[in-house]
Amino acid sequence: MAHRRCLQSFVRHATALICLRKSPPLSTLEILTTKPNPVISPPKLESSWFTPWSQFRHFSSSKSDGSENEEEVEESSDGEAENDEAAADLGRDYSPEEKEAEAAAIGYKVAGPLQRSDRVFKDYEPVFAVVQIGSHQFKVSNGDSIFTERLKFCEVNDKLILNKVLWLGSPTQTIIGRPILPDAAVCAVVEEHALDAKVIIFKKKRRKNYRRTKGHRQELTKLRITDIQGIEKLEIKTDGKPLKAAAKKPEKVATTA
Amino acid sequence: MTRIKRRRRTKISLFASSFRGAHSRLTRTITQQRIRALVSAHRDRDRKKRDFRRLWITRINAVIRGMGVSYSYSRLINNLYKKQLLLNRKILAQIAISNKNCLYMISNEIIK
Repeated sequence: MAHRRCLQSFVRHATALICLRKSPPLSTLEILTTKPNPVISPPKLESSWFTPWSQFRHFSSSKSDGSENEEEVEESSDGEAENDEAAADLGRDYSPEEKEAEAAAIGYKVAGPLQRSDRVFKDYEPVFAVVQIGSHQFKVSNGDSIFTERLKFCEVNDKLILNKVLWLGSPTQTIIGRPILPDAAVCAVVEEHALDAKVIIFKKKRRKNYRRTKGHRQELTKLRITDIQGIEKLEIKTDGKPLKAAAKKPEKVATTA
Repeated sequence: MTRIKRRRRTKISLFASSFRGAHSRLTRTITQQRIRALVSAHRDRDRKKRDFRRLWITRINAVIRGMGVSYSYSRLINNLYKKQLLLNRKILAQIAISNKNCLYMISNEIIK
């Protein structure tokens, strides 16, 4: 009996992987219904394992359709051997690259390719943006560096585009999104993946002879913000007329405020 | 035999090396004060989140009451949720301090 259960679970896992690659949720429902009835416990586990994937599918389908189609074309040309290796490397659920795009959308970042000869770092511009990454919000401007929770699927020197922008501000304009600004984007570069300073978790109950010590280092990612897009930036490059420019700015603020 | 005791106690006294008076000099009090310090740190890491949220709320409240007679933090938050804005209190407090006018413009927009 145990031998038979092993075979059945292996077949189910294989079919599961194939269905996840093809990605319509209807196929997963069909497989669950065609399972033989006497084996009761494994289908329950599978239903709980499948439903999060169907949820992720619904969230990502509207945003990244174009990128998913492009990645599917590339995958079919590369072949299935690389997909299997990627599945073994990343471990659990992220076998094809479509899943990476989905999980990235949940954390509100889209990874661009690595760059070498691009001049990405500009001078300071007096523009700020409020960006949400995961559940943390940051007020950011050009050249800042942020520590966020460890972002999967990006390595050092990757360019990221942060989609979820809640607020843009400059000396003359402010733009607020309800809740998100759809056209705005903030570009960032991953500087390093680091561990936080060690925190000692110490629990003690007095007079009860109970004491526990544990150390913890949180995994962080350091991002450097390079560009903010979606708002007009004033570029004042005149060297001979600084006073007039300074006089103009407060006037504009008064009219718009 | 004393070298084992000494090794253990130097590790502990390194932790308490910046404490005041006898709390950094006498070994028995060093162990006690180290335990109290670690317990306080553990408890206050959770308290820190609560304390900062209180601070932000107080700051936002102070700035918002300068807008009109009967306008307050509670009404601002109600209006934010009605208009589906996702800004959290940390950001609102930072904006309230750095440029008040921005916050006033936003709250005027939201009232309508």
